[in-house]
Amino acid sequence: MSYPPAAPAPPTRRALLRGALGLGTAAALSACGGGSTTLRTSGDVTLGLWTHDPGYETFFEKGIPDADRTGDFRYHLKVTRAGAPDIVTKLLAQAVAGRGTPDLVGFEIGSFPRMLRGDIAERLLHDFTPDIEAVPGLKEDLLPARTAPFSRDGRVYAFDSDTPMVVYFHRRDLFEKYGLPESMATWEEFAEAGARVHRDHGASMCVVSTVGSDPGQVVQSFQMLLYQRGGAFFDADGALVLDSPEAEEVLRFLCEGLRSGFVVEVSDYYGAGMQTALKAGRVIGLPMAIWYKNYGLVTNVPEQKGRWRVRALPRFAGGGGVTAALGGTGFGVVEDKANTRAATEFLFRTWLTHEGQVRRFTETGYLPTRRSVYEDARLGAYEDDFCGGQRLFGLYRSLLPDVPPFHQSPDQSILYDVLGGNLLRAYHGDLSPRQALKQTAADFRDQAGR
Amino acid sequence: MTTTVAGPPGAARARSAPKEEERRPRRSWAPYLFISPFYLLYALFMLVPVGVSVWLSLTEWVGLGAPRWVGLRNYRLLATDISFHRALGNTAVFVLVAVCLVVPLALLIAQALNTRGLRVRDLWRTAYFVPIVVSPILVALVFGLVFDRQFGLANAVLRALFGSGGVDWLGDPDLARVSIALVMLWRWTGYLTVFFLAGLQNVPRELYEAAALDGAGRLRTFTTVTLPALKPVTAFVVVTSFICAAQIFEEPYLLTGGGPAESTLSVTMFIYRAAFQRQQFGYAAAAAVVLFVLVFGISRLVNRLLGIGRAAS
Repeated sequence: MSYPPAAPAPPTRRALLRGALGLGTAAALSACGGGSTTLRTSGDVTLGLWTHDPGYETFFEKGIPDADRTGDFRYHLKVTRAGAPDIVTKLLAQAVAGRGTPDLVGFEIGSFPRMLRGDIAERLLHDFTPDIEAVPGLKEDLLPARTAPFSRDGRVYAFDSDTPMVVYFHRRDLFEKYGLPESMATWEEFAEAGARVHRDHGASMCVVSTVGSDPGQVVQSFQMLLYQRGGAFFDADGALVLDSPEAEEVLRFLCEGLRSGFVVEVSDYYGAGMQTALKAGRVIGLPMAIWYKNYGLVTNVPEQKGRWRVRALPRFAGGGGVTAALGGTGFGVVEDKANTRAATEFLFRTWLTHEGQVRRFTETGYLPTRRSVYEDARLGAYEDDFCGGQRLFGLYRSLLPDVPPFHQSPDQSILYDVLGGNLLRAYHGDLSPRQALKQTAADFRDQAGR
Repeated sequence: MTTTVAGPPGAARARSAPKEEERRPRRSWAPYLFISPFYLLYALFMLVPVGVSVWLSLTEWVGLGAPRWVGLRNYRLLATDISFHRALGNTAVFVLVAVCLVVPLALLIAQALNTRGLRVRDLWRTAYFVPIVVSPILVALVFGLVFDRQFGLANAVLRALFGSGGVDWLGDPDLARVSIALVMLWRWTGYLTVFFLAGLQNVPRELYEAAALDGAGRLRTFTTVTLPALKPVTAFVVVTSFICAAQIFEEPYLLTGGGPAESTLSVTMFIYRAAFQRQQFGYAAAAAVVLFVLVFGISRLVNRLLGIGRAAS
């Protein structure tokens, strides 16, 4: 006689709990894993893109068909948007955690120096230098002035979104009304005429920001003219070179302009104060990067469409060029990931192609970073409605050779903090330009390299 | 004759040992298990971070890779860092504002709210309490508009009253500190008022009646009845205000960014700046340790001075 096999006993509650705990732990541990780093070389790929600007998101989304057509990958994007400084903080946190880093990251130029501290950039970002050399003619075509901010020790870690040339925006109608000739070629002539305009009409022809809560903006006002004059904050090795005769000349020029009324203080280039000054005709011209047209003028005074014009900066009698550069956002690729190659190719097939750079200008207003693109007939024919139909690319082409490189240092935020404060003291007459620069250099030395 | 063989010494005790063991309460791990979650969490979220901070303060770390041991170098650098000294000075000013202005004002408001016959008392209480629950971002936005040099409410009022109002509230180093102090006053006073109000409601009415029978006036009653009765509450409020003010971050960060020229930079902002703007985590940790030691030491001193935790004799 045989017995049927005994039915297995139902699991006890404790056994079930143990099983659930085991499964949960296994799931948690697998989730903590860093994910596969086997390099993908073709096929479907979803790139994690981090950016602070929705404009870039749209640009890259629209670039997918081009990238798919010309390469071995079929791209999808998973976009995360965050504040510019937060992107670096989050990137480093994820890198320490060993997971969750993006493939493609947009670094606002002011946040990138954090990546230059220690060996962060070297460990975390893909070095594009061999990729650039692999594309015939690309190295010579890329503007060195715009690879400099995102480079270190000859390695390029990000590609800039713009060649943000500094130009002189001015109200043509009011220039004519106040008898200001187009032929004024130097800042010194501008300052003389500006003092008269302020005396007679209460208007100013130059602006400095004095918003105490934003040292970066305070520094920008000075930075534009300093770099135009031939000065700089840091050299290519990251050493401070601020304390120079050029810097003193520029700071003295601004301080004297503030006394005469040629220069006016505004609390914020983008805020209510500036808007009122523009609307009331108290600011009739200012030096600023070309992107200011979209972010400052069009947004604050759309009704003044057609009255504004763009020209080259007047020269300083003592020397220097006719433009500078201000701002920018560099896109980099995170190194040692499965998607590193895919992300690099994506960047090269969207961001750096001739068509991509033309499209970037038409969609976002940012100027090409490749020299040859400036010769494109479509860009040459472009007329700017806000500037009364002015054809601006001829001007941009002529400024191109004068765009100075902007070298960054890991200690840049220290410089901005100390320089911002000392610039305000100089503007208010508490320090002479010489003292302000000496003090800045001393304060910087005290704090840098800690 | 009976021979008694003496056993080895202690044998009798050995025989009676089981009985003693039965009488002795059995060692049990249960109570330790019950209280262990607190200690585990305390160790995990308090001791470990503090220990790691102290260790980090002895290293140089950019936020990625391995920290490099530098011993006391960060502390030596802090001792000569003008920026850190400035932050300590500014923080001391904010602490003085909190302890010497906010606390007395909160007490006065509480006294006023405790007045008998006050109408819509709850409305007043709520009104004073609201600022502390308003988002700091909103506070910064509103006060940014109030203190705007060209179009701010403060200058508009000055213009209306005195004919001129070009005061650079946030752009002048001294006035920026005053602006932060005003925001602290607005934001914190109502919150502390609630503590004083609770204390005032617990003062026995008989004491006031006795003082009245003795002919004490309002001021005399306040100084001889109210203040002594409020001593424990005052001590608590002073210490917590001190600790909060010593770690002030939101107001200066959102309103002035620590500027102009670091005139409103607090120690916590200094730490944040070193860590998250300059990637100097070791240096930031050293500053944090210094702040911790200062806050802990001074709090203990204040505790002792005010007799917190000591039984009333």
